[in-house]
Amino acid sequence: MNKKAYYGEYGGQYVSESLMNTLQEIDEAFEAAIKDPEFLQQYHYYLKQYVGRETPLYLAERLSEKYGTKIYLKREDLNHTGAHKINNVIGQILLAKRMGKKKIIAETGAGQHGVATATGAALFNMECTVFMGEEDVKRQALNVMRMEMLGAKVVSVRSGSNTLKDATNEAIRTWAKTAEDTFYIIGSAIGPYPYPKMVKEFQAVISREAKKQHMEAEGRLPDVVMACVGGGSNSIGMFADFIDEPSVQLIGVEAAGKGIDTNEHAASMAKGKPGVLHGTRSYLLQDDDGNIQLAHSISAGLDYPGVGPEHAYLHDTGRAQYVPITDSEAMDALMELTQIEGIIPAIESAHAVAYAFKKAKEMTPDQSMIICLSGRGDKDVNTISDYLAGKGYLN
Amino acid sequence: MSNRIEAQLAQLKEKGEKAFITYLTAGLPDMETTGKLIKAQKDTDIIELGIPFSDPIADGPVIQQASYEAILAGASLKKTFALMESLRAEGVEKPIVFMMYYNTIVNYGIEAFAAKCRQAGVDGLIVPDLPMEEQELLRAALTVSDETILIQLVSPISADRIPEIVKDAKGFIYCVSSMGVTGQAADFHAKVKEYLTYVKEVSEIPVMMGFGIRQAADVKDVKDIIDGAIVGSHFITLLRENGFSEESAEEYTTKFKTELNAM
Repeated sequence: MNKKAYYGEYGGQYVSESLMNTLQEIDEAFEAAIKDPEFLQQYHYYLKQYVGRETPLYLAERLSEKYGTKIYLKREDLNHTGAHKINNVIGQILLAKRMGKKKIIAETGAGQHGVATATGAALFNMECTVFMGEEDVKRQALNVMRMEMLGAKVVSVRSGSNTLKDATNEAIRTWAKTAEDTFYIIGSAIGPYPYPKMVKEFQAVISREAKKQHMEAEGRLPDVVMACVGGGSNSIGMFADFIDEPSVQLIGVEAAGKGIDTNEHAASMAKGKPGVLHGTRSYLLQDDDGNIQLAHSISAGLDYPGVGPEHAYLHDTGRAQYVPITDSEAMDALMELTQIEGIIPAIESAHAVAYAFKKAKEMTPDQSMIICLSGRGDKDVNTISDYLAGKGYLN
Repeated sequence: MSNRIEAQLAQLKEKGEKAFITYLTAGLPDMETTGKLIKAQKDTDIIELGIPFSDPIADGPVIQQASYEAILAGASLKKTFALMESLRAEGVEKPIVFMMYYNTIVNYGIEAFAAKCRQAGVDGLIVPDLPMEEQELLRAALTVSDETILIQLVSPISADRIPEIVKDAKGFIYCVSSMGVTGQAADFHAKVKEYLTYVKEVSEIPVMMGFGIRQAADVKDVKDIIDGAIVGSHFITLLRENGFSEESAEEYTTKFKTELNAM
């Protein structure tokens, strides 16, 4: 067992033998890159000049007043392409270039990671293929168009449930076949080691900035930091620099879909059990035979039956708490944030906002919390409009 | 107690024969038919029984579809154990290997799974998403006896990992013929010969080749290196085209085995 691939008993490298040497190469290249000042300078250059960092840490005044505690929003929604996903894509694509790879592949559910990857591929002139479940291709037609405009090839995956988990399966299969010249950019904090570590490293910029910004504004650390959790990329980035600050409470918000006592949710921590999927050991929604169950959430980005291995570890050690928020709670919070602060959040991010409103009730006016607003809601207007029209929603 | 796979391979060695191994998805179209298809293959030396899993990342479209249909038809690990028990009770002594994904084992409980394999007469395991670094727990559970052995896989780019992988390997070495997944047309890795030669050189046990093989002629170029061939996706396609008839299973496997040893 390769101990460094694990977070407690979670993580590892559960992939076919034909990928093991590839993972070793990536690990070595990654470890060298993040110690190389030139690589880091390049990464930060693109984050600043291309992505538009740093993103603001905004004190939501009216919300703070209403809920009686200081509510700060880390505005990842203001990044180029509209979400935090681009932070990681820039890092991984620079690594791919450094390794001499010419082609990149990615999986996508809602299309955000696909769009970010296609964007990076256009910027760095690399051939890009994005795998997307047939169902998601249908319900996220605009993002498919964006990816194609950016020059990516979108492969509609027709296998199993035709959603993110199947797109990921297909990306892994293609990777196993083509690893000699192709780099796989995983967008979530999942996958075989070193992927969870890479995604954390490249998303940690969120908490590095937020910590400094909060310190400047309040002269101290926040009391609570929270983020939504699907696979867990924005949340691990939001937690990263606070994990070793015991006074800061970390809260991850899972999608409870129609409720965690129904069969339609994506709360792998609340209702799953440890297992192995997509190269890593973590909490998984699975049936009695060990087959992976379909996740459900109104937000496509949280619609994943597993969670990143470090989150599983933070959960078991009690360092972070994970709580469920239903579709309707998230949609109410989305509307409230829109109307009170003039910010339309992604439905994913609205899950964190919804829990923040609950949490605020136990906090005092001089305490403060940071919510990671991982993305903007432009991509969700169709879902929001269907929801508001009472027609229900897709999925 | 000795292992059926090892016993069978020892016999083949004595006779100077190459091994022929097939793959079937358990429960496709149903468990009863799977049992019949196992018994019909009198010339097949070892049978791989695929335990259907929802997310078979090492498999191509044919086996993915087969797994999916089998799950919909109610197939599961527990039912496959029941099939094994009834086959062994009937006196079927054919070596049988479970090809399965690790989550199915983790879900069952690793210790309980290993014990159940011994009791049900499962001779070996192939777990494509469990590279040597992750095998510790399963190996520990299996070491109680050698009734159920863990088969090691190597790939064309395993390179310097190969000596370590084959060191304590049991039964046979499963050489994947190409990068990627099962069921791609006989499109072997460019350096397949060098790679197989190397594995054969460092391995003390028989070396089998699988992935992308459809007929005996596909392995003609490497027949002097390998000790046997494995056919999966093509066999499933063929059975499907023939309504999963026992005759088609028998006919194909007998022909393959004969040709393999006549080349």
